[in-house]
Amino acid sequence: MTREAVVEIHGLIAGYGRHQVLNKLDLTVRQGEALGIAGDNGTGKTTLFKVILGLIAPMEGNVRLQGQELDTPRLRRLMRCRIGYVPQLYTPGKMPVSVHDAVLMGRWSMGFGFFKSPTVQDRQKVSEILQEVGMSHKEWQPVHLLSGGEQQKVSIGRALVREAPILLMDEPSTYLDHASQAEIIELIRTIQLKHHLTLIMISHDPEHLEAMSDRILLLKNGRLEER
Amino acid sequence: MSLYDFLTIPLFQKALLAAFLSGAGLSLLGVVILNLNLTTIRFALMHIALLGAAIAMVLGLSPLAGAIAGILLASLLLGPAGDFLNMDTGVSGVLFMTGSLGLAFLIFYKAGVPAMDAFALFSGSILALNTLEIWVIGGLAVLIILIFLFFYREIQMVLFNQEVAESLGVPAKQIRNALLLLTGLAIGVNIRMVGVLLIDAAVLLPAIAALSIAKSLRGALMLSAFFGIVSQVGGVAFSMAYDCPSGASITIAAVLMVCLAAIYGHIVKSFRR
Repeated sequence: MTREAVVEIHGLIAGYGRHQVLNKLDLTVRQGEALGIAGDNGTGKTTLFKVILGLIAPMEGNVRLQGQELDTPRLRRLMRCRIGYVPQLYTPGKMPVSVHDAVLMGRWSMGFGFFKSPTVQDRQKVSEILQEVGMSHKEWQPVHLLSGGEQQKVSIGRALVREAPILLMDEPSTYLDHASQAEIIELIRTIQLKHHLTLIMISHDPEHLEAMSDRILLLKNGRLEER
Repeated sequence: MSLYDFLTIPLFQKALLAAFLSGAGLSLLGVVILNLNLTTIRFALMHIALLGAAIAMVLGLSPLAGAIAGILLASLLLGPAGDFLNMDTGVSGVLFMTGSLGLAFLIFYKAGVPAMDAFALFSGSILALNTLEIWVIGGLAVLIILIFLFFYREIQMVLFNQEVAESLGVPAKQIRNALLLLTGLAIGVNIRMVGVLLIDAAVLLPAIAALSIAKSLRGALMLSAFFGIVSQVGGVAFSMAYDCPSGASITIAAVLMVCLAAIYGHIVKSFRR
């Protein structure tokens, strides 16, 4: 049986100003699939994520999430709640933010928001997710004092706490040591099965995607090709 | 005269009130400057103030009003200009800083204004504040505290990671630009109190002290306000009691706060070990 298409992109042209990065790109990702997209730096992987997240509008073509076309700024903003995003591992500044608060951020616009404080349910959900990603023992520690692997678990937790069906992950295991890589790969596989998630992961190195992906596509000259 | 005698004089009462308000509200923006890496921008804002003052002097207007107008305009333009030119805010800050400095010196030269006259305007004096200026400082302090109170979570997200905040639907760019505008206003107001060269003492040093020991953003903001109040009120009181310049006294008090916070941090760390 063919599974429902969760992400559908047809003839997408997108970029910045007059500069086109993605050129007539087509992509279909089905429910529960783990798709890896590999491509050199500057080929448009992050731009593709920004289009799916509704942060930039396509110049041409259309993007559908769970059958809903993202053709207005309002819809692009609304549909963002269906997506959890794990950014590339970065070195956080020295601003002290606890693991709990960093994960709680994922509930913004889901549970709390402007003029609306986080509820008990929001905080309970955070505690559950921290248990799941194995970070509950460090719930009140500042994120900037954690190891790379632990910070990545916090990012995954923040994406999971949104209870979104689609997860976008930017270089999920690339900048980690071998032990942390294995841990993150196992965690991603476990949460995908448990939450029936659709995963789209990008990396400059296809080898990093192999253990986590059902199929891998290559992004070249603004289009996706079979590997 | 003793400190108590000074406290009975309205002029000094006003100065202490201004120091308290500035410390309580304006010091909070130091946390924003440090976390959004706006240190170049703040430097740019100081130089844009010079350009504003230069234009105002040539037009026969109040140089201070020109400086604040320049800062306000720049605060509004720096963020969007960076987005338009596809530049990091820090890089666009360098552009504004060097451009405004060059333009200011051209204006000084062509209008025959000695540069030192313009610089002298920025030495600042907390004792020279009038009632209207104290209302402005108070209003701005209350506005800053309210904004941090009502938008704490959103500001926390933007300071933590702007990319993550955007992906969650937080209007990160608008919040960043609003914080930049508030920072500009705080710098403009503090210029009148401590002068351009010592502005970091009022805005940045309390935040540096707070961030070295705080465990959360909320803690950092509260400690920043505390250190701001202690250094500003303490500095002004010291300047009254020992007949010293107020700007320099505030600065020394703030430096002392940073040193004490660092020592406290080291002691706490060594106890944990």
